[in-house]
Amino acid sequence: MYIILHIQLLRLILKLENNLRQFRFEHNEMTQQDLANAVGVSRLTIHSIETGKFNPSTLLSLKIANYFGVSVEDIFFLVDKGTEQ
Amino acid sequence: MIKTHKLLKYLSLVLGVSSILIFIFEFVFLESIRPKMIIFDEITSQEDSQLTWVGMGLLVILSFYFVSLWRIVRYLRYAEEITFSYVLLLVVGVVSFLFVFADVALLQDIVKQYKAGLAQPEWSLVYPIMGFQAIVALIFAWLHITGSLSGKQVNTVAKDSNVFMIVQYVGIICGAAGLASNMLGFLCPRSWNPLIHSVIGSLILIFPYGLAIAYWFIIKVNEKDQHLYDEKQMLDVGRSSFLTMIVSSVLMLILYSANFQNLEGITSVLWLPLFMFTEILLFSLGNIYYSNKSLAQ
Repeated sequence: MYIILHIQLLRLILKLENNLRQFRFEHNEMTQQDLANAVGVSRLTIHSIETGKFNPSTLLSLKIANYFGVSVEDIFFLVDKGTEQ
Repeated sequence: MIKTHKLLKYLSLVLGVSSILIFIFEFVFLESIRPKMIIFDEITSQEDSQLTWVGMGLLVILSFYFVSLWRIVRYLRYAEEITFSYVLLLVVGVVSFLFVFADVALLQDIVKQYKAGLAQPEWSLVYPIMGFQAIVALIFAWLHITGSLSGKQVNTVAKDSNVFMIVQYVGIICGAAGLASNMLGFLCPRSWNPLIHSVIGSLILIFPYGLAIAYWFIIKVNEKDQHLYDEKQMLDVGRSSFLTMIVSSVLMLILYSANFQNLEGITSVLWLPLFMFTEILLFSLGNIYYSNKSLAQ
């Protein structure tokens, strides 16, 4: 019973991940500062998003996606950390 | 932009060399006139006119600190990396700048007391203050001569994070120095003077932080952005505010409990500067910690 409950809890752990670094490199290897300037945030914010330390707002996610000309889901996606374990 | 940079560079070099020469002149002149004033010996008209030159010299020194601080702030704003030593220089520069006014006030007091036939204990303050200012002026002059303020710069920054970080570093230095200076009230309560040690000391130490915030605010207004912070900074500021509230509440509770038997004593005056500098220190430390946390990976 305990094991089943534990597994169910683990399944709820979803984490937001992204391909931002890959998109940057595919766009003429643009720097974090260039992307930050383009979407109006600081370089540290872009760095924090790439390293998974910070989840961007809907507005910022849309701005980034719009800048690269793709949908938000192409850059940001959920990873089921529970399943991974 | 480039024109201003060049103008500032040459101006700082000229003012730097002049300031060092003025410091040498002032030390030599004051040391020659001090023994005469202490024993109330008569001052010659030539020495009297040289006292006016001391005042003029202080104006040049004031201008040199101002230009140097301006150059350091400009450098840090677009620097690839903000180093603690430059922020420390910024703080000691502001303190030296403020000390010029202290020099004027002290020298005026000395002259007044000499003319009234009174002792001049201010001499013991003039030399340490001017010595500190001379060391800072030498460091600044060395920075200008070696071209250290013309290092690698980031071209354009749409959303400033450097100035935000500078404000936090200045906050750490001012907060720690303010706490240390006010703690002296507890350690040496008998020689502690509320006006000089707490009020004036706190005002001098809080001034650089106030200036840094004012500079950051002006930049934010010029950015014409409706948000003062960007998303990540907002999150960091929120976290550090919460941390500051919890820790400072606990610390103030400890201070209150420890002095419960003597709340009308020294604590009745010191609680405000202690609270203020604790808040500044913790808030700035929190912001730096949370901002740098993401860089660790």
